[in-house]
Amino acid sequence: MRLRIVETLRKGEQAVNDLVDKVDIHQSGVSRHLRILHEAGFVQSRPEGQKRLYSLRPEPFREIDAWVANYRSFWEARLDKFGHALRRKQKRNLTKRKESSK
Amino acid sequence: MSENKTEQKITIERSYRASVEDLWDLWTTKAGIESWWGPDGFTTKVLKLDLRAGGELRYEMTATGPAQVEFMKRAGMPLTTKAQINYTEVATHRRLGYKHLADFIPGIEPYDVETLVEFHEKGQDVRMVLTFDAMHDEEWTRRMSMGHESQLGKFERVIASK
Repeated sequence: MRLRIVETLRKGEQAVNDLVDKVDIHQSGVSRHLRILHEAGFVQSRPEGQKRLYSLRPEPFREIDAWVANYRSFWEARLDKFGHALRRKQKRNLTKRKESSK
Repeated sequence: MSENKTEQKITIERSYRASVEDLWDLWTTKAGIESWWGPDGFTTKVLKLDLRAGGELRYEMTATGPAQVEFMKRAGMPLTTKAQINYTEVATHRRLGYKHLADFIPGIEPYDVETLVEFHEKGQDVRMVLTFDAMHDEEWTRRMSMGHESQLGKFERVIASK
């Protein structure tokens, strides 16, 4: 549930009411999760009129994003090699078929 | 999501104008795996291939590119590294699942990553979908609390705690 709140906040600053709509739990639950995330330093808030807007603090997420980005780029490079290997294999298949039909 | 195991999922998709048999071969045969597995400048040699759920793939990677050889030497690392993955699911031409220890990301503690490769045939194309689950178990949490604290570990504990 807390992860869903974080994922929703990734899209940008939100008021509690918007979060309640999006993650579909009771307001008291959302407020409690926000408080825990706030205390842990992952979420910040600021007042705007009657509302309080919540957003993610960027610092702790940089490291996590770096992990995801690293892992992703590692596999993107690996799949480029996979693609090359596939084309070589397809060429060989073609040659074999031509030879066997001679 | 349980309290002591959290996940971080990554999905990568690629489409190929190819037969599913060719793609499957590249993933599951000695020659196929050796033709692409492993980073640039390294050659992969399959030592053992036991393709079934519960079976394993053992392989070694050797730096062969001049730049990679130089890099490994300078870092004081051996040119050849042994590694293995453990198969969790083998459904011919459809799904291949395996676990391995991710220990190649600098600055990040090693831990299990579960990979699932799915093959979807569509006309002349095959869509290949890779899903990676970073499994962070109690051991991970324990190591984190023993001074290997990182934002990732902290985040996961906060997310998972009641």
